[in-house]
Amino acid sequence: MSVNEALDQKTPTENLENWQPKILVFACNWCTYAGADLTGLSRLQYPATVRILRVPCSGRVNPQFVIKAFQKGVDAVLVCGCHPGDCHYTTGNYFTRRRFLLMRRLMEYIGMEPERLQASWVSAAEAQKFQQLITEVTEQIRALGPNRKLRDVQWEQWNN
Amino acid sequence: MKRVGVFVCHCGTNISGTVDCAQVAEAAKDFPNVEYSIDYKYMCSEPGQEMIKKAIEEHKLNRIVVASCSPRMHEPTFQNCVERAGLNPYYVEMANIREHCSWVHPNEKEGATEKAIDLVRMAVAKAVRNQPLQKTTIPVTDRALVIGGGIAGIQAALDLANAGHVVDIVEREPSIGGKMAQIDKTFPTLDCSACILTPKMVDAAAHPNINLLTYSEIEKVDGFVGNFDVTIRQKARSIKMDVCTGCGICMEKCPVKVDSEFELGLAKRRAIYTPFPQAIPNKPVIDREHCTYFLRGKCGICSKLCPAGAVDYTQQDELLTRRYGAIIVATGFELFDYSVYGEYGYGKYPDVITGLQFERLINASGPTMGKLQRPSDKKEPKNIVIINCVGSRDEAKGKSYCSRTCCMYSAKHASLIRDKIKDSNVYVFYMDMRTPGKGYEEFYDRSREQYGTQYIRGRVSKIYPLNDKLIVRGEDTLLSQPVEVEADLVILATAMVAQPDADKLAQKIGIGYDKDNFYTEAHPKLAPVETHTQGVYLAGACQGPKDIPDSVAQASAAAAKACGLLSKPEILTEPIVTEVDEKTCAGCGTCLLICPYKAIDLKTLTERIAGEIVERKVATVNEGLCQGCGACTVACRSGSIYLKHYTDEQILAEVNALCL
Amino acid sequence: MGTMEQLTLQLRETAREILESKKAAAVIGWEMGTFWYSTAPAILTRPEETERLVWNEYCLNNLAKYLLDFQNTDEKVAIFARGCDYRGINRLIQDKQIDRDKVLIIGLSCPGMKDDKKARELGQNADIPLAKKCEECTYPDALAYDLWVGEPKEAAKPAKAEAKVFPEVESLEQMTADDKYENFAANYEKCLRCYACRNVCPACSCRECIFGNSSKEWSAKANNLSENMFFALTRALHVAGRCIQCGECERICPVNIPIMLLNKKIIQDIDHLFGPYDAGLDPEDKMPLGSFEFTDPEEFM
Repeated sequence: MSVNEALDQKTPTENLENWQPKILVFACNWCTYAGADLTGLSRLQYPATVRILRVPCSGRVNPQFVIKAFQKGVDAVLVCGCHPGDCHYTTGNYFTRRRFLLMRRLMEYIGMEPERLQASWVSAAEAQKFQQLITEVTEQIRALGPNRKLRDVQWEQWNN
Repeated sequence: MKRVGVFVCHCGTNISGTVDCAQVAEAAKDFPNVEYSIDYKYMCSEPGQEMIKKAIEEHKLNRIVVASCSPRMHEPTFQNCVERAGLNPYYVEMANIREHCSWVHPNEKEGATEKAIDLVRMAVAKAVRNQPLQKTTIPVTDRALVIGGGIAGIQAALDLANAGHVVDIVEREPSIGGKMAQIDKTFPTLDCSACILTPKMVDAAAHPNINLLTYSEIEKVDGFVGNFDVTIRQKARSIKMDVCTGCGICMEKCPVKVDSEFELGLAKRRAIYTPFPQAIPNKPVIDREHCTYFLRGKCGICSKLCPAGAVDYTQQDELLTRRYGAIIVATGFELFDYSVYGEYGYGKYPDVITGLQFERLINASGPTMGKLQRPSDKKEPKNIVIINCVGSRDEAKGKSYCSRTCCMYSAKHASLIRDKIKDSNVYVFYMDMRTPGKGYEEFYDRSREQYGTQYIRGRVSKIYPLNDKLIVRGEDTLLSQPVEVEADLVILATAMVAQPDADKLAQKIGIGYDKDNFYTEAHPKLAPVETHTQGVYLAGACQGPKDIPDSVAQASAAAAKACGLLSKPEILTEPIVTEVDEKTCAGCGTCLLICPYKAIDLKTLTERIAGEIVERKVATVNEGLCQGCGACTVACRSGSIYLKHYTDEQILAEVNALCL
Repeated sequence: MGTMEQLTLQLRETAREILESKKAAAVIGWEMGTFWYSTAPAILTRPEETERLVWNEYCLNNLAKYLLDFQNTDEKVAIFARGCDYRGINRLIQDKQIDRDKVLIIGLSCPGMKDDKKARELGQNADIPLAKKCEECTYPDALAYDLWVGEPKEAAKPAKAEAKVFPEVESLEQMTADDKYENFAANYEKCLRCYACRNVCPACSCRECIFGNSSKEWSAKANNLSENMFFALTRALHVAGRCIQCGECERICPVNIPIMLLNKKIIQDIDHLFGPYDAGLDPEDKMPLGSFEFTDPEEFM
């Protein structure tokens, strides 16, 4: 039995018809979180698949959070911050860029579909961009189906 | 015991129109640590807030989750509310179920409700782990430092001093005055630059609250808002300032002559000199690089002649450390070095000069006493060409930006020439005329209509000497025709660029700078004179090309900001900063590399291990400098530096909660 | 073989001289292990002990990390160093775990060590291949040193990194996502979480590792594939831009997990994304994840 087959057996059976992806968005307080607020203020619609987690700066997002999120059952992670040059803290997003350039490649290397970890710059004014981003990522993840890779089935069984 | 209260807001129908708020409140009752959960029409209203306060009391709640609009909207409201009920304001956590939920999923009622429940679960998980945080106060030293003694620095210092604050101006040249002191007349009024500048210089020097530290440079900046410890290097002037009377005999007899920086090479100065006659302080310095006494160990004429005995060859640089509450950076600009342009002669033709050199040539106190003559043969020029945008708006060889002042000073130069030499012809080559200031367009009109300046839209492709003339070749793009002018003198409107060492000073202070080395403001629209480092403000052209009115306006704005800071004995600081777990910190210093505010340092920790005293290094955070971005925490492999309110534990609890 | 034996004598001589003249309080080198194909790190403090030192084709241990034993002393420590030890020493200096002036580096040129596992299999008379980590070595010699043992060397040229490409990483990259994952999972299904890879690594010098520190959130109680993978990836991230490619993690792994496959992937990506970089050549250089350029590749959407 291959590891994948073993995982399939262990994964709690999900009703794929009604299945909705769970997408975690790390949003920096100053640009993307405000941009997501503006998306709401502008009444632009996107699928209810995302959960936004507010951090002061995208530089606060530890790549280890991403692994943990996949372990616990998130289907995709999106890391968002201010555009280069616009960081509220001057340089935080430049470190984010380096860290996640490497992290995305590493995750792809171990077999994670690249769509499942993405990064984007969304400013406080880019409501439309945020709407499109979430819509696109949701479509991509719906096409991929639930994530099984890295998942900690034991944890899920204990906690559900 | 953590006892969480959950308050779900309908926001009229803004939320409840999409999200089933009662179902959210009901679901929250099952979350760990939740003791009380309720939904209500308007949580932010007076009755809503009363409801929270009452529930805190009745149910002994010590953590509050409000599920409503964006925390960017009402977090302070609910923080104040729980504070009034006796709880620490940082015990509040908000779930954004309006902007991030009901408003964006109006057609997915079930999905929106499910999402709202998730968001509340995440907020509860975080709230349970919230720690009480206290805003702390730090004292403010009522003394300001102004770096740079040009018009911006002088204006800022005068405003601060007049408001009752003590100010030190540090100027690296022997005199204050800056670039404005070199200028002849100012646009758009054509009043004499010296006539409006020198009184301000005198005011600054005479002001009881202002100390001038000329011929001095910033060595080091430590500390943080309200408490900057600045080390200033006072360069050896070789003159006893308290003894010198400024009589000037020393300068007359000095045998050494070198190019004057102030006159931009158009005249000579001595090795013992003041940069210009109205210099303040009007006391000379000895240029040790050129002084015969310092080069060969003999001469000493100035010392022998000085009636006051003020010359002191043994003086050394002195370091002075002072504490300041605020810093205003007003270090100005430099001019673009146009020698990269082969088409303008690489800086080799003597009769191709810069606009600032022209200011000296036309200035009554300049090297020619204001008589306009060409540098090569002292003849009066009849045909003069002015070229705009030399180094500006040229990404290939110069700078991408517009230098903002050149269109106006070229119009001024044209008018001044036509005023002095009635039978002259002045041609201005330009790309676009930009005259957006008050009275600027009218001034430009006058230079054409009243003074007869000829404007040619187009770039100059080549300047080359022919006999004693300079042939200027270009294109008139409006007529689509090549143009050629036989010029006696060519004036280049060279770009304003940052000071060559602007980046080094920025690194010392800990402020940002852009790709062109101009200092970055905290926000281009809403915080144009602040920097990202609290307590450091910007004035004048160090932030970007500016003319005199704009520099003065920005200087006064920076002074007002500094006054606001200095007028309080202490300031409150945000408690969301990083902290170091000294027990596990290995002192590797990686976090120091990440911090944009230089808020982290290494300190030596002494501890006793198995009876022996052992020293080791650990990181330490200056809470006055830390702005709470948390970028350092990710670089720490052992998780020994953490951001309060956004710890790994708190963020991971949210991630876990989202998956339950 | 003759030359290594001669060098062994020189090593002993040098170590004896250092201890006798008290130029250093201890010397770190190698001594014979239990088998003919094994050696062990030796920490010597008395001149007469220096007879134990050896320099043979099985000196596989990277010595740098043993300097940490002297973190709390004021005395100087001498250490024999080839290229890999030298880079390990620089790793510790850059991580501020040791002071350069407390270390006396005795430079060596390394001919490449032999594979001890193969030696055990094939026996003493067989032709034993080089250890994998030595086959790929690009810096066999110490690049800077206080003393040198062996043939006099030309002054070390300033080393310059080149963009590296690892064929085994490239071939993995060609696989489908599911095959990659299956391969990765199969490797880490075996992991015992013995942390030997961490303990041997010169880039792992935390006072308290997040794995094993129960007060920090990261440490997982469960020992399952998911947590093994979290450990593997986190370890790789922690040494990202810091790995000196000594290959000790992989050599020491009791269940033969190809750990360097992760390290090499990151090294290769760093070279190609941020410019060629070899960790441990210069303690003053800019670490790839402790710095950035405004012009870094822009792949954020």
